[in-house]
Order: sequence, then C-alpha cells, then structure tokens
Amino acid sequence: MVDTPIISIEGLSKNFGAVTAVDDVSFEVTRGEVYGLLGPNGAGKTTILRMLMGLERPSAGTARLFGEIVTPSCAQLVRVGAMVEQAAFVPHLSGMRNLQLWWEAAGTRLRDADLDGALAIAGLDDAIHRKVRTYSQGMKQRLGFARLLLGRPELLVLDEPTNGLDPGEIREIRELIARLTAAGATVLLSSHHLSEVEQTCSHVLVINHGRLVADGTVTDLVGRAGGVYIEVDDRERARRVLSALPGVTDVRDQGDGLVVDLHTGRRADLAAALVGEGIALDTLMPTQQLEDAFLDLLAEGSAPMAATTTSAVPS
Amino acid sequence: MIALLRTEFTKAARRTRTLIIALALCGLPTLIVVAIKSRGTSDRGGDHGDGLFRLASQSGLLVPAAVLSVMSGFLLIVIAGTFVGDSVAGDASWGNLRYLLMRPITRGRLLVAKATIAAVLIWAATILVALAGLVAGVTLFGAHSVTIPSIGVGGLGSFTLSEGALVTRALVGTAYVAFGFNALLGMGMLFSTLTDTPTGAIGATIGVYIVSEILDGISQLGQIRYAFPTHYLGAWESMFTENTFSRDMVAGVLVQLAYLVVFGAAAIIWFRRKDIRS
Repeated sequence: MVDTPIISIEGLSKNFGAVTAVDDVSFEVTRGEVYGLLGPNGAGKTTILRMLMGLERPSAGTARLFGEIVTPSCAQLVRVGAMVEQAAFVPHLSGMRNLQLWWEAAGTRLRDADLDGALAIAGLDDAIHRKVRTYSQGMKQRLGFARLLLGRPELLVLDEPTNGLDPGEIREIRELIARLTAAGATVLLSSHHLSEVEQTCSHVLVINHGRLVADGTVTDLVGRAGGVYIEVDDRERARRVLSALPGVTDVRDQGDGLVVDLHTGRRADLAAALVGEGIALDTLMPTQQLEDAFLDLLAEGSAPMAATTTSAVPS
Repeated sequence: MIALLRTEFTKAARRTRTLIIALALCGLPTLIVVAIKSRGTSDRGGDHGDGLFRLASQSGLLVPAAVLSVMSGFLLIVIAGTFVGDSVAGDASWGNLRYLLMRPITRGRLLVAKATIAAVLIWAATILVALAGLVAGVTLFGAHSVTIPSIGVGGLGSFTLSEGALVTRALVGTAYVAFGFNALLGMGMLFSTLTDTPTGAIGATIGVYIVSEILDGISQLGQIRYAFPTHYLGAWESMFTENTFSRDMVAGVLVQLAYLVVFGAAAIIWFRRKDIRS
C-alpha cells in the first residue's frame, strides 16, 4: 500500500492583483521527513504556508493535508501544529490561559491535549502563569511551540521559527526541533537561514520569485554545486584513481589537497575508491556548502541577489 | 459552539478595559442621580431627556429611564462600538486570529460567537446603567408612583404611573435601548472584518451612528430618515412622556433587525472569503 503524502501541493499559485506571489508550485512531503522551505525574503514561502493552513485561498492549484484538499478550517487541521510568522497570543491573558482557550475553542477536550508535555517542552516554569504581554519574544516563541505541540500533532509547520531570537534562544529552538524530529514528527520548516535548514532538514525545497527552483535532499542540493575537497597521503596516486572514476570531470590541486569536480555519483564513492586502493584519506568535504548551492540556484533563476559563493575549502 | 463562546467571553471579560467600562457604567448613573438630587426639583425641563430628569427626583423608579435617555445618545454608542469593532480586528491586531483559524473552527461560527459575545456585553452594559440608576435613584428618592404632565387634544393634563408600571416600562425601555444597538452590531462586525486595526473598526462603527444621528436631525431629508439606524432609538421614551407604547418602537425593532441581517450576512460572506494575512 502506498503511503499518502502528509502534504501534497499541486500547481499552487497565488496572485495579489497583478503580483504573482506563488507560481505553479508542486511538491510533496512524506511522513517522518524534515523538509526545509528555503528562499529569500519575499520569495513566497509564507504565502505557501498560509494556503496550506487554509488562511488564504489559492488562485489556482490545490494543497492537500493527509490526502484531503485544504479548505478554511478543514478537519485535517487538528492533526497539524503550526506556527505561521511569529507566535502571537492574547496579550492580557496568561500563557497557560492562552493555551487552554486556544485548545478548547475548537471543542476539543483539554485532557486530550497533553498540556503537561507541551509545557515541559516550552520550559517557561512559573512564567506560564504571567500575562503574555510581559513575555520576551523568545518566551513567546517557546509558548508558541507549546501551543503547536498540543494534542501531539502528526505534522509541524514552522515558519521562520527563530526569527527575532537571540543566539541562545535560536540554539534552544533548534535543539527543540531536533528532539521533535528525532521523536518521529514530520516537519515543514520555512526559513531564509541556510544554516538552520542545513542543520535541521533532510530535504530542501528552494523557492524564488514564487517558483519552486529545487526539490531534493540537502546532499543532492549541495551536490549540484559539484566539488569535493580531499586530503590524502599520496596525491599523485589519488589523482590517477579519481580521474578514472565515472562521473569525475576534473581533479586539480588546491592547497594541501585536491579538488574533485563531480558531475554524477556520490562523495562516498570517492572515499570507497581511495580506501580500496590503500590511500589514506585525511579529509573529505564538499567544496561548497548549502549556501553556495542556494545562491547558485537563485542566480540561475535571475534572482536579484548576487551569486557570490562562500567556499569552505582552504585556499 | 459553547466552548467557542466561553473562549471569546473569557477574552473579552478579562480585559482591563472591560472592567473600567463596567466601573464607569456604575459610577456615571450614580453621579447623575447625585446631581439631580443637588439640583432639586425647581429647574425647568427641556426636551424629553431633561423632562425625565426633572421628573426623576419624584421617584427612583424613573431614574433608570432618565439615565438611559442621556447615556444612550452617545456614551453607550461609544461603548457598544468599542465592543463590536474590536471583536475581530482586535484578535487580528494581536496576530491571534490566524492561530484561531488554523484550528477546525469555521469562520462563520467564529464570527457568530464574537457577535454573540459583543451583544452580551452591550446588553450587560445597558442593564448595568439601568441597574445603577435604579439603585442610586431608589436610595436617594425612594420608590413611588409618578404623576407626569402631558399635552393632549383637550389641552394640558397628566397621567400617573404606578410603581409596577414604572418598573415594567423601565424593563421594556432597557431592552429596547439594548436592542437598538443591533444595527451597530451588524455594521460593526462588518467593519471589524474589513480591517486589522481595531481603532479603525471602532471609529467607523461609532462614526456611522453619530453621522446617522446628525443626519436624522435634518428634517429636510424627509422620509429617508426613517431608514436611519438611529431614527427610532428614542421611541421608547414615549412610554414615560406620553403614556403610550409608540408604534415607532415596532418600526425601530424592524429597522434594527433589517440592519443586523443585511450587515451581519455581509460580514459573514466577506469573512469566509477573506485571506487572513494578520
């Protein structure tokens, strides 16, 4: 039996007058994976998430949750925990009261919410009983995580979850996402922070000017940029071995090592070939990070951003 | 629906603003009654409001009508407009509206719940004014029947309202004043869905009623004034000043219902189609 995708987006478009915010976007999110929706500010990420959550109507195409077409306030939303833009609450009520009222508003019983589990994750301690207007942005974000975890949702939709947070809070939120994904949650995370996506996600969807310009694993995407830097004990033998491998288009010196341009194939194949020939491998790393691949993709799509690259390789 | 109503009521009732309004609605009628007491009964009356005031010192049972007559012209409009205009736009301005709508809560149901709570608060405010007036009035003037002067076909005359009649008419008057905000409720809900700025929605809601009152005062506008939401708002006072249940009260009820249905339906249709971007 084929597993129904948790999210299925088909030909999704959204126009605001003459402006096309989202243009014919299609992708799927499968169970248990962590997808990063990556794109510059204004690329259309939040609009996609709003349509997915039934807040905005698509101009064309459909969004499905658990196989059902999303409509405003559709029943499948009860299986989703979402944070779209910043976490927001009723400011004159306490954090606890906000959680209780939000959960009960849909007629769901508080005893089904796993409130204690959500509160433990939020880690607000006694502050949970203070009015939300006294919270810092980081506390609101943590309370937002507690809210989206109520009822143990199967899918988490997170829109720029670390926006406006200080480095310590960002780290806390990332660790929290890591714990949730380790526990088996399916996650769709929108961000323009490449490191966030690289550290958190298994798959990446790159959006630019409202269009989906890449869809694949982080490894695939970095692989598009194509280079691998290696350091070995015998450079000349390594050069001969690697040059003979299928998919390798060039091998050249750089610093104390070699840079291998890889058209097809996996980095792991290079390592296996070298080790198989008895060549000691000290270092193997992609010459480019996700940031380089991302900027290359934007440049391909005639994005206004300059296609500068940041090399991870010693020069 | 009950859970949603409870949620919305808690949000509205726990605001500091609501408490301040409640205190003001208790305090102002008390102040008015004290002012009447200190003025004595020698001052001349003017229009119906002043007339009711002049007579109010005869019996505390007439004070609810007197304070409602004064406060329903402006202050209660402002308070009702605040409750209604803020209902959706307030949640939107906090950013909380999108989180409510990311749950399986239909937009129509949410709007009806918010309108219901706004109506409950409006009724509570009106009843509070009448109750505060009653308590203060009976305390200072006692509870007696009232003889009210009137102008009839045969010239000057008078009629007497017993204690029971005064209480009954105060109840009907209070209900009529509260019901008179139904047009405001319908229009305010629409304004509240049109903007994410509560002050804008509140201002528009109050503004429409104020403009309606001003235009209603221009007799040259003729019969068109009968369709204004504020035209029949004072019709209930004839129960005290002319000893009649005016047919205008029926017309007032119908006008209020028409506004509520038309603007309420427009609000629901608009809100169901609206892209939630706040």
